[in-house]
Amino acid sequence: MAEQSWDELVEGLRVGELRALARFITRIENRYPGWQDAMKALYPHTGRARLLGITGPPGAGKSSLTSRIAAGFAQRGRRVGIIAVDPSSPFSGGALLGDRLRMNDVSTKAGIFIRSMATRGSLGGLCQGARDVARALDAAGYDIILIETVGVGQDEIEVVKAADVVAVVCVPGQGDGVQALKAGIMEIADLFIVNKADREGADQVVADIRGMLALAGDDGDGLQPIFETNALSGAGIEELIDALGVRAEQSECSAERADARAREEVLMLIEHELALRVRTRLSSGCRLDDAVERVRKGEDDPYSAAESLLAFFDDVRSESEKHE
Amino acid sequence: MSSDRKIRVLVAKPGLDGHDRGARVIAYGLRDAGFEVIYTGLRQTPEQIARAAIQEDVDMIGLSVLSGAHIGLTKKVIELLREQGGGDIPLLVGGLIPEADRPALMEMGVVKIFTAGSAISEVAAFIESRVVSAVSG
Amino acid sequence: MNEAERELERVKQAEAEWCEEVVEPRLKRFQIPESPTRFYSPAEQGGFDFLGKVGFPGQYPFTAGNRPFEPWRVHAEAAAKLDMGTGRGASGAGRYSGYGTAEDYRDYLLAAQKRGNRGGPNVAFDLVTQCGYDSDDPRAVGEVGRVGVAIDSLRDFRVIYEAFTGERDIDKVASNFTINAPCGVILAMLAVLAEERGIPLAKLRGTPQNDILKEFIARGTYIYPPRASMRLFRDTMVFCRQHMTAMNINSIGGYHIREAGATRVEDLAFSLANGIAYLQEGVDAGLDVDDFATKFTFNAFGGSMEVYHEIAFQRAARRMWARIVKERFGARNPRAMMIRQAITAHIGCSSTTLQRPLNNLARSVAGGMAAGMVGGMPSVFPPFDEPLGLGHSREAIQLQVDASRIMLYETGLCDVNDPWAGSYFMESLTDQTEAAAQEELDRIEGMGGAVAAIDSGYMPRAVAKSAYERQKRIESQQDFVVGVNCFTGENELNVELDHESEGMYDSDHLGSAEDRQLAKLATLKRERSEREVARGLTTLEQHAKDTETNLMPDLIECVKSEATMQEICDVLRGVFGEAEPAKL
Repeated sequence: MAEQSWDELVEGLRVGELRALARFITRIENRYPGWQDAMKALYPHTGRARLLGITGPPGAGKSSLTSRIAAGFAQRGRRVGIIAVDPSSPFSGGALLGDRLRMNDVSTKAGIFIRSMATRGSLGGLCQGARDVARALDAAGYDIILIETVGVGQDEIEVVKAADVVAVVCVPGQGDGVQALKAGIMEIADLFIVNKADREGADQVVADIRGMLALAGDDGDGLQPIFETNALSGAGIEELIDALGVRAEQSECSAERADARAREEVLMLIEHELALRVRTRLSSGCRLDDAVERVRKGEDDPYSAAESLLAFFDDVRSESEKHE
Repeated sequence: MSSDRKIRVLVAKPGLDGHDRGARVIAYGLRDAGFEVIYTGLRQTPEQIARAAIQEDVDMIGLSVLSGAHIGLTKKVIELLREQGGGDIPLLVGGLIPEADRPALMEMGVVKIFTAGSAISEVAAFIESRVVSAVSG
Repeated sequence: MNEAERELERVKQAEAEWCEEVVEPRLKRFQIPESPTRFYSPAEQGGFDFLGKVGFPGQYPFTAGNRPFEPWRVHAEAAAKLDMGTGRGASGAGRYSGYGTAEDYRDYLLAAQKRGNRGGPNVAFDLVTQCGYDSDDPRAVGEVGRVGVAIDSLRDFRVIYEAFTGERDIDKVASNFTINAPCGVILAMLAVLAEERGIPLAKLRGTPQNDILKEFIARGTYIYPPRASMRLFRDTMVFCRQHMTAMNINSIGGYHIREAGATRVEDLAFSLANGIAYLQEGVDAGLDVDDFATKFTFNAFGGSMEVYHEIAFQRAARRMWARIVKERFGARNPRAMMIRQAITAHIGCSSTTLQRPLNNLARSVAGGMAAGMVGGMPSVFPPFDEPLGLGHSREAIQLQVDASRIMLYETGLCDVNDPWAGSYFMESLTDQTEAAAQEELDRIEGMGGAVAAIDSGYMPRAVAKSAYERQKRIESQQDFVVGVNCFTGENELNVELDHESEGMYDSDHLGSAEDRQLAKLATLKRERSEREVARGLTTLEQHAKDTETNLMPDLIECVKSEATMQEICDVLRGVFGEAEPAKL
């Protein structure tokens, strides 16, 4: 089967071809040659979707909750994209993407698209990857995009920073309770969800969250709301979706946030690209190998080695600039 | 094509059969072989399997059946894939598949049958070779 | 120091000398760091507490067995002379079977009776029934009547029992039901049938599997979430103690857990944890443990070819369960403390290989040996052609049955109760097995018990990981499986089997079962009173919302009104929700 061109895929996804969308996402994820141009071509068709980030510790029932939220929005006439993130194995590079397993109820609903993504490791690459995939879903007409993460790595917090609304999920019965939530999560959360709220200890979790919010001080935004839900039975879900919907609409208004987000994304793209170029440049020839050998033998320290490599790099750049 | 390209595999159990030891072992094994495994677990309908395969743009679908309902279920999955534009996604079947049923499955378009207890390395190698030849073909 | 302590010191001294003078030189000669074998001397078991750790057969802690001797042992000679099977007795449940529609199964049972089978129905239900669906649900396609009989309503259930009337009526034979999530529905059907036949509920005998917790861990035919499932279990248990007083309550245990990949220690610990959860339900419901625990049975634990370990396992299991029921639950009736199981050790289907299937006989015999040495019938299971998936051939069944007989009649294995009692090695191994299982059990209890450990995914994940570890060990030749990862390629024998076993299912029936069942279902829905059905289901729904109400009376009414299996289960799905699959 002949491979489709980028244009064909963009055209396809815009008219609702699931296969084209899926293939486009794969190419973007793998940074297939031409991906930046493809994203540039796609960009004008984006901007309608609102991104809702759902994070929290494992065992909180995020996947079930995400599924319920998606179903709820779909019922209200929205088209929903779900990006479910799971960690890649640092040893093999593979991943077990098992969030879909909890989304059986919505996996074949028209107007809902579920895509599982692995963190694939380093350099904050996930944040950009998820943003790009969200844009693809946006261009394909999905106007609510849920990004569900694991909530145990720094990457996950990064992803969630890209979202318009961030919901943090907690559950009763987790030993360390709310205190264990990663530093930084309290700051980024727009609202909290206490899932499995039928269980013993739910009230305590709500109290703990309020306590931590009070400690964090009043940022002028007012206290974030806390929703109690039971994803299995559906209790509290309608109220939650109403609130999320409202927040999603409001989030467009904050110029400050938009500025911070754009700044972060541009910088991240630059950093990522620079890092890639440095690695590529250094991997040709043996300058890097030589430097590493010297450090290994103890003839040089890593700081000096890095400095001299960077100096070389600057020299190369200024040489090439002269020739332009 | 970036060398970072990950191979994505869907591991699913169609039908009501609840014996998922084999499916779980393969899922872990393929993960440790560097694949991205979308594990959808028990009680998948053919619709759910086909939809997942397409949305996740997998390189291979692995069905695990031990209840004897493999012929009907596999047929339905393949039909739905074709209908939804995913007819080119290869499908392999593992589990309890009597000899007599294997020709029928191969004729439907199944690319390989792995009997229960097949080595993970065998399955991984097979999938990898299919992906490589699909890319270069 | 007294004499015993001095003796122990002398043995330890002698052992140290032996290590130095005999073992070390030999290790050096072979250039290996340690011996591939072990020897156990009294040094292992200094001050052995026989009465506390072993006791006598039939007495607490039951390590040596539940009884001084078993009925089958008494009747063995007579059985051989009369050429009768040494089964559980004429009126016990027969061979595990079930397929097609109820009519197909009834006819199968009648044919078996003509061949001399005298057992009651030991019913396998199809997956559709086990998962609480009807044959016309989209999920049922291809599954109706396949791994068991299709039961959509009381009508179907009644048909099975057309094979059991008169001399073999339901008060004279035992019924086994391999049913878990919708157990209450099946028991309700049995109750209504008994009422129709004028048979008092107290006369009904048999065993429903009714072990829902293992479904979440290993077998996968669950419906509702764990807590709601335990409520339904409680309802069946209380109903049995009040009405079907001769019925067993459940058939719990680790076989399926081990088959799903659990280690031996996990098998034991998880089974005990589940058992504790079930016992607690009974206590919480106000039942007397000295009474209801006597109606708990154990299906079978898992097994393997590691004979010594499986013997130690069985001994540890008996001792641990007895101690739990006595000390933790305060029982005083010895019968409440016993692990009542029909089969003890045997290997599982997962221990058999598809390659060189004849070898599975040797494997099954190893399992049978363990059984014979631990107080059970030497159970040579499964038939060697099990992994071929074609049903069991005549050869395989004959070999299986005769191998068991050879062990019973020709080896003398079963002439001694707990022959390993007092063995330095076996007592050590039993202690170790118990300690390891106790550690795991404590961990689970620390999480809040079996239900919590299932809710969090701990138990299902542990089993999946162990299955994976085992696979890795096989693939890396850390574990050896003859003919699979070693000694392959020689003598691949072609085995011609005669699949004309007497107990074969009619494949034509199997093929048409789904269509016939759908027709019957349509007829049922035309003929019954929809008003009655709706009334029953509404009441069921109401009562389901109140956790204190026992749902058995409502299930009986629903079943009587000819509500279908799925109609009933869907009402409960609406109230309880559905269980979530465990994440890996």
